[in-house]
Amino acid sequence: MSRATVELDFFGLENKENSSNKPQFKKFPRQRSFRDIQGAISKINPEIIKSVIASGSAKSSISLPSTPKEEPITFPDVPLYRHIPKSGSENVSETAPLTIFYNGTVAVFDVHREKAEHILKLAVEGNSKSFESNDANVASDQQQQLLETLNTGDLPIARRKSLQRFLEKRKERNDMESDIKQLSD
Amino acid sequence: MEEDKKVNKMNSGMPDIDTVFECVIPYVEDPKDRDAISLVCRRWYELDATTRRHITIALCYTTTPARLRRRFRNLESLKLKGKPRAAMFNLIPEDWGGYVTPWVEEIAASFNSLKSIHFRRMIVRDSDLEVLAKNRGKNLLVLKLDKCCGFSTDGLLHVSRSCRQLRTLFLEESSIFEKDGDWLHELALYNTVLETLNFYMTDLIKVNVEDLELIARNCRSLSSVKTNDCELLDLVNFFQIATALEEFCGGSFNHPPEKYSAVAFPRSICRLGLSYMEQDHMWIIFPFAAMLKKLDLLYALLNTEDHCLLIQRCPNLEILETRNVIGDRGLEVLARSCKKLKRLRIERGADEQGMEDEEGLVSQRGLIALAQGCLELEYIAIYVSDITNESLECIGANLRNLCDFRLVLLDREEKIADLPLDNGVRALLMGCDKLRRFGLYLRQGGLTDTGLGYVGQYSLNVRWMLLGCVGETDEGLIAFSRGCPNLRKLEMRGCSFSEYALAAAVMQLTSLRYLWVQGYRASKDGRDILRMVRPFWNIELIPPRLVSDTDQLGNPIVIEHPAHILAYYSLAGQRTDFPETVRPLDTESLLSVQSCT
Repeated sequence: MSRATVELDFFGLENKENSSNKPQFKKFPRQRSFRDIQGAISKINPEIIKSVIASGSAKSSISLPSTPKEEPITFPDVPLYRHIPKSGSENVSETAPLTIFYNGTVAVFDVHREKAEHILKLAVEGNSKSFESNDANVASDQQQQLLETLNTGDLPIARRKSLQRFLEKRKERNDMESDIKQLSD
Repeated sequence: MEEDKKVNKMNSGMPDIDTVFECVIPYVEDPKDRDAISLVCRRWYELDATTRRHITIALCYTTTPARLRRRFRNLESLKLKGKPRAAMFNLIPEDWGGYVTPWVEEIAASFNSLKSIHFRRMIVRDSDLEVLAKNRGKNLLVLKLDKCCGFSTDGLLHVSRSCRQLRTLFLEESSIFEKDGDWLHELALYNTVLETLNFYMTDLIKVNVEDLELIARNCRSLSSVKTNDCELLDLVNFFQIATALEEFCGGSFNHPPEKYSAVAFPRSICRLGLSYMEQDHMWIIFPFAAMLKKLDLLYALLNTEDHCLLIQRCPNLEILETRNVIGDRGLEVLARSCKKLKRLRIERGADEQGMEDEEGLVSQRGLIALAQGCLELEYIAIYVSDITNESLECIGANLRNLCDFRLVLLDREEKIADLPLDNGVRALLMGCDKLRRFGLYLRQGGLTDTGLGYVGQYSLNVRWMLLGCVGETDEGLIAFSRGCPNLRKLEMRGCSFSEYALAAAVMQLTSLRYLWVQGYRASKDGRDILRMVRPFWNIELIPPRLVSDTDQLGNPIVIEHPAHILAYYSLAGQRTDFPETVRPLDTESLLSVQSCT
């Protein structure tokens, strides 16, 4: 993994355009793989998400999660993972903060870079080997369920590349035009 | 002796059957017929082998270049396809495979009669184009690099320089690394026979309009040109020179509308598509709208009303491609005005509000109008926002010539008028008995297990199917797989069938030679898939992965892609050029685990 920020924006929080116009039709609350996995995962014990992180970082020199907030962290929904390595640092230690944003709370873990990758991988890969090593752990079955539900059921309808490209270009043209209008006003 | 023979023949009245057949066989072109002929006897097998002109290899990994050469040495035309169709929807890793190199090497070495090459969704390198140009360039008439990637304008330069007899150069939707526009310049310098030039949807920008004019001047048979988004006003001269032009797509509108009165299209234009065309520009089409047989509005900026105004002026339209902004009202106008319509493609526009006309949605209302008005329809591909059984029944009752029907139910609206669609789908399949291709992409509750069983039962001639979010349980899939006697290629997405049921279904579908699935319930140990292990059946997996992408607003996002299964018959054994993201099914280790327990 490169030094760049890895950001999984499951809720589309970055996308502010969503709230600009009231939609004419109520959006069908189906799961979308990146936007609304809420439905599938809400059934799963929030502790599982924590244990995914815990099992992933078991080998590294991680201690308790250090959170800037006072309230205890609960994870009923999909967490937003952010891995931001220290930039410009010659530090050989290679641990970096793994920041998890969820529902207004923030948790920060000091995790080895490889472990962070592993955690991210675990979240989406199916029957990975680390599960088999935790056979006795009931949580691993539920983890499997979590990953299976991600694997099936509702996928967002994929867009054709050519149309997607056109819609992006159209947006660029619109943005340019409104910039020009703004300048001339 | 000779006399005797002749007399004998005349007396018996029976000409030599082989001689007769040698005369007849060049006129037999349908591949299914040829296939049947080649099975009659060795003599006819050889006759077919030496006289077959064209071969389409639907997946390049199903056979080898050497096998092709051994059987069809005198081939004149070859079409090869690589990546799964899902690649057109950004679902397949870019480096999945489909390299043309081994084929190009064989073409260069052996296929002396080859004049026409079509690579679709394959990976092409500059070196491949160089080899082709050097070895086959003299006789090459047609080169189509269709949704390909991996090459640059340097590769095209080899083509332009050495393939001077090219009638067709087709690059549509290919990802081309652009260094300069020299390739077009060289084409302009050396070619006088070009008829079709297509670099539509390629993002090439360094092409010189003067080179287009030179091509038009030199190539008097130039009849079809599809360009990039160059400014339409820059093409005024080009249109004046290219007097034989019948088809034009591309261009763009970047100036005030009045300026476009300077644009005069060639007189024989009958197929047209103008990108970024708005209401204020539409009028330039009106003078010859009645001549139009094909209209491409996929990349135009028209709203519903604009569609209505334009379409009603096109009574001879046979092919329309546009986005769902056409709306039900536009479809009603189409149904009233365009009685000769044969092909209709309605793509999905932007989702977010404000980007498309509020009226711009298609539903059962538009479908019913269409079914009752455009009785010649052979091909419909459509994204709908609402649907009823009645509208599908109407299609089944009226559109007897339908060969290809694809329907996607968009997922924005929560409430759909009439689900499940079991009865409508059955009626459509029963009525449209010429249907060969069928796509149905719905949602949970859209088609029950019974409905899926109907699909199997009534799709007697269907060869290709795309099924999305259909059925309820494995029962439905098993029932489906008992039917579909002619189904050769099956694509499934977003269904929740188990690995076990998938494997069982594959074994029941008698004609199946290609399967693609994304989204399924994997077995705990990954062994259920072993049920479909059989000789000559290659199985590949693309495990789940995270893919960075941009949403339609251009914001970077990371999407999680569920696992794929790809399986196909092959005479070539397992391929050896897998990228990291794709894994062949490791049947040996799975089988050995089984034998240990």
